[in-house]
Amino acid sequence: LPLVKAPSSPSLSLQAKMSRPVQARRLEGVDKNIWVEFVKLAATYSTVNLGQGFPDFPPPDFLTDAFARVLSGEEHMLHQYTRAFGHPPLVKILAQLFGKLLGRDLDPMTNVMVTVGAYQALFCCFQAFVDEGDEVIIIEPFFDCYEPMVKMAGGTPVFVPLRPKAPKDGKLMSSADWHLDPAELASKFSERTKAIVLNSPNNPLGKVFSRGELELIADLCVKHDALCISDEVYEWLVYDGKEHIRIASLQGMWDRTVIIGSAGKTFSATGWKVGWTVGPNRLLQHLRTMHQNSVYHCATAMQEAVAQGFQRELEHYGKPDSYFVQLSKELQQKRDQLVQSLVAVGMKPIIPEGTYFLVADISEFKSDVPDVPNSDEPYDSRFAKWMVKNKGLAAIPLSAFYCGAHKNNYNRFIRFCFAKEEATLKAADDILQKWKLEKTSP
Amino acid sequence: MLFASRSFCCLGIRTYQLRTDLLSRSIRLSASDTMAFRHKNTRRIEGLDSNVWVEFTKVAADPSIVNLGQGLPDICPPSYVKEELANAAAVDRLNQYTRGFGHPSLVKVLSQVYERVCGRKIDPFTDILVTVGGYGSLFSTIQALIEEGDEVIIIEPFYDCYEPMVKMAGAKPVFIPLRHKKGGNAASSADWVLDPAELASKFNSKTKAIILNTPHNPIGKVFTREELQVISDLCIKHDTLCISDEVYEWLVYKGNKHIKIATLPGMWERTITIGSAGKTYSVTGWKLGWSIGPQNLIKHLQVVHQNTLYTCPTPLQEALAQAFWIDYKRMDDPDCYFYSLPRELESKRDRMAQLLQEVGLKPVIPDGGYFMIVDVSTLNVDLSDVDENQPYDYKFVKWMITSKKLSAIPLSAFFGPETKRQFEKYIRFCFIKKDSTLDAAEVILKNWNKQ
Repeated sequence: LPLVKAPSSPSLSLQAKMSRPVQARRLEGVDKNIWVEFVKLAATYSTVNLGQGFPDFPPPDFLTDAFARVLSGEEHMLHQYTRAFGHPPLVKILAQLFGKLLGRDLDPMTNVMVTVGAYQALFCCFQAFVDEGDEVIIIEPFFDCYEPMVKMAGGTPVFVPLRPKAPKDGKLMSSADWHLDPAELASKFSERTKAIVLNSPNNPLGKVFSRGELELIADLCVKHDALCISDEVYEWLVYDGKEHIRIASLQGMWDRTVIIGSAGKTFSATGWKVGWTVGPNRLLQHLRTMHQNSVYHCATAMQEAVAQGFQRELEHYGKPDSYFVQLSKELQQKRDQLVQSLVAVGMKPIIPEGTYFLVADISEFKSDVPDVPNSDEPYDSRFAKWMVKNKGLAAIPLSAFYCGAHKNNYNRFIRFCFAKEEATLKAADDILQKWKLEKTSP
Repeated sequence: MLFASRSFCCLGIRTYQLRTDLLSRSIRLSASDTMAFRHKNTRRIEGLDSNVWVEFTKVAADPSIVNLGQGLPDICPPSYVKEELANAAAVDRLNQYTRGFGHPSLVKVLSQVYERVCGRKIDPFTDILVTVGGYGSLFSTIQALIEEGDEVIIIEPFYDCYEPMVKMAGAKPVFIPLRHKKGGNAASSADWVLDPAELASKFNSKTKAIILNTPHNPIGKVFTREELQVISDLCIKHDTLCISDEVYEWLVYKGNKHIKIATLPGMWERTITIGSAGKTYSVTGWKLGWSIGPQNLIKHLQVVHQNTLYTCPTPLQEALAQAFWIDYKRMDDPDCYFYSLPRELESKRDRMAQLLQEVGLKPVIPDGGYFMIVDVSTLNVDLSDVDENQPYDYKFVKWMITSKKLSAIPLSAFFGPETKRQFEKYIRFCFIKKDSTLDAAEVILKNWNKQ
């Protein structure tokens, strides 16, 4: 009889390995991402994109000129590695500026670290400070990456919502009408609370936390010895004479706060991906450890250009021609323009005190997108998808900024980005007006 | 306490730690003591704070030092590369976010270049991830695919970040050294080899991956097809992944060929191949790299990426894409930068080797990469009076920087804890340096014995 070689079967341990998923467990539950889906939809269908948060106008001339200068210069070492924790001219100017803003002497080498956008700064914070078993308080609605980042670090996100109070009769709601309930907030702190994430000015609502609200949070941080991860990327975008207050400047907070900032938002250059952290060396040393074991260096040339941009702003600080002053003035006008458009057609905007986002209630337009009972998808998400496909107008559903369990709590709102040219806002207005006409005409 | 009883179902060390945590919290400590405790680092970065680069780049930053230490070119990148960045900087829409997993024009040209090299179809959107340098690719790969309970084989000497990254992922690094062939002329990188039986003994059911670096930093070894076959056979037998760090892929010298392990049978589906713009185009400060592999692996790297930094800078990616198109079109031409750079570097390699030989040293001539290692024992520098509890090569390099104004990197930084002391007489020089830098090094080396 011919010898038949029996098929070799893998050993038991190999079988066990083959049946295990190849990916690490830390990726469980963090694979979904709203932007991947919505950015694609906007790219495919939108004629007017008020969805993803980026300006469609250029960064200021002095910044692009600085970049061009940097690249045309003789200094070819700008194409090579710079200091890993931040290009010296950049950390020096950041230390100068934030030292001034915080009323403190900052050491550029130990109190500042540059990151690949504020996004990577957030990542370093969670990885450096959140261990399995730690809880992190996240205020809803929140910039969506906080939740998966906490989870990836093995932490447990604990959510506390901003709750809207009805505005005075006849007035439009403002982001200032959304508050934390002090008792509710206090109840979220426990022995396991490692940190709270604060985002002020807040994306997506545009809320600018008041001194009283910050003091409430600060008191709880001190009482429970929690850290504060303070995402202040929109720090320069505050309207109506409001003041952006830095929680790190409050009593007892400097030692326990990491402040996060972004050149992308400061200088309308989101594609440059330059961000930073500012804080006490005691905390930043751990961010440095994380950074040196993950990306290590950030791109040199853009850091040099951003440093020059800040140099210019420091010289013009507080003056009318300061970019920070001009940008916020310009954006306030755009905010008001979009608010007007929305009100005219029956969408109810919540006036943001800051950022370049505003959230609007689309209940009046419900008839266009009928409810689907028992649908897994929150209403506003279905609405936003329908709107971009049928009206060419892209926006982001507010439910994207809530945890899974709370996605249906505020599902009649969508978020618009108004950091857009005149022509874009006009085109949005045209779409909205036409839409309204279609609804009202027989 | 409810919390306490729930956590006692954890095992071993964690229970102990939690118990002491709870105990110490219940004792009234001073505010600053409590703060110091609560605000300490996470377990994942415990012990990962020191870093050879942080130590040595600072020391060598003094411009009067001839810096042959850190691996960064002081030669100019090609002019068209700089021009493309200047062009990209002038395009307004490139100042805003691009596609998270990689700028479309960049991933498209990468897929073209690598399709040609690998001889297989590569989907730009599912098989490629653009990252912050080769470093970022290593991090994304390890975070995506490695976890507690896994073992990862690391070949010594190794690019130093492999060990802390594997540890940060909670896994155990398992080391295997390259050794000089007995009777071979250890003066070539080719003579540093893995013992196949020893390598096989490192694989077991826990082995999740092996990290391969070819061309190799610091030795400059270019693994042969036969050597890669040994590794791939073991990967297939044990169903192990291969993380192939090929950042120096174009820098191979005459008589050598860079072979991608992913092109060996059975390997594409289990390999992540890492590349680097910094090394390809002599622009380390651009910090762009990429991971290429099958969709079912790359998708997990993409998940890590979307939760770590989301997207890489746009203008740099566009410029890199344009530079790649230029060279892609001339991949049959010897003037292509992928071939002209190694030609340029080969003469620098030979010069560096000669300078070291003239001082009586026996450098290991690399077949690839831009580093050269050398045993400095014959120089007989007595550092026994230097107090520091550091390996000889750390002390030697520090001494050489201060007294000879020449810097290098100590090789023991590239070894695991058990083998460190065996290689403490070796240092690493980087030779991707302009002529005037090598001239200055020559002066120092020629005058070495004069005091």
